[in-house]
Amino acid sequence: MDNEQILIQRAQKGDHTAFAALVDEHQRYVYNLAFRVVKDENEALDLTQETFVRAWTALPNFRGNSQFRTWLYRIVTNLCYNRLPTLRRSLADLGDDVLPDIPEPENAPTNPAREFESNETRTYLHHAINGLDANYKLLISLRYQDELSYDEIASLLNLPLGTVKTGLFRAKERLRIALANYHAEEQWTIS
Amino acid sequence: MDDLLNPNEQNLIIEDALRSYPMATMPKGVSELVLARIRTEPAPRFQFTRNDYVLAVVLSLVLGAMLFAFQSLPPHALIQIRIQGILLWQSFLVNYRWLVPLTSIMFGASLAVFAFFQLLRPQRFEQ
Repeated sequence: MDNEQILIQRAQKGDHTAFAALVDEHQRYVYNLAFRVVKDENEALDLTQETFVRAWTALPNFRGNSQFRTWLYRIVTNLCYNRLPTLRRSLADLGDDVLPDIPEPENAPTNPAREFESNETRTYLHHAINGLDANYKLLISLRYQDELSYDEIASLLNLPLGTVKTGLFRAKERLRIALANYHAEEQWTIS
Repeated sequence: MDDLLNPNEQNLIIEDALRSYPMATMPKGVSELVLARIRTEPAPRFQFTRNDYVLAVVLSLVLGAMLFAFQSLPPHALIQIRIQGILLWQSFLVNYRWLVPLTSIMFGASLAVFAFFQLLRPQRFEQ
């Protein structure tokens, strides 16, 4: 039995210290997810607190069928749905008509063209990610920051697998447009 | 400059940006705030859900409707029902008497098994 399971069992018996350890372990991820969706520090902080309070009261119902952090993500996502009524709809509206084969390079390429990718480009793209709609940012956070699989995201958000893939594909398409604009601007500046 | 990048290189740059997308800066003191709240809100041992209330209302309405329907029957129909009931009960006692102890034993055994598995589970919220 790993350390987290022991903490969960102790917290289920009412041990505040064990629950505090769980909060310390997961708060960063919960807050990040909330912040990426609601885009407001105070609201994200409020959602984070609410998530852990609900987790505490619902802890007797946690059977360990899923990972604890995935369970927390489910709670915070539901709270985000309550806070942003259009979020659930916008996720469902992504549809699953596009089923692209999303390339996922495991390692950084050794291609010299990689040198081209400056910190400025990365920062620019990070700003572009910040500017994406909440539904895309939710998918990106779950996939790239929380490192959930497509199946886990689909299960967590109660969406078809195809919708999750389509959402991420479209988010990347938007970033591709942003990248093209960035390069066009740079070209214009140079010329 | 855009011409220098083929779609694959664009993909790599975008993947890199997605993977290096930073986590939001965490405000301090969240744990303390959460703990302060859960100390004032001890986790309940048992909680009614919204479904429980809906089920309770539906059952009450059904029982009420049955009682009302039964009360509204004419006396003749009530007597007929009672006679049929007595006949059915006597028939049961004659033909299926053995079901009574068997059902009791099975019910008792089920409760024993349930109690056994409940004892194996960790106790919760013994505050």
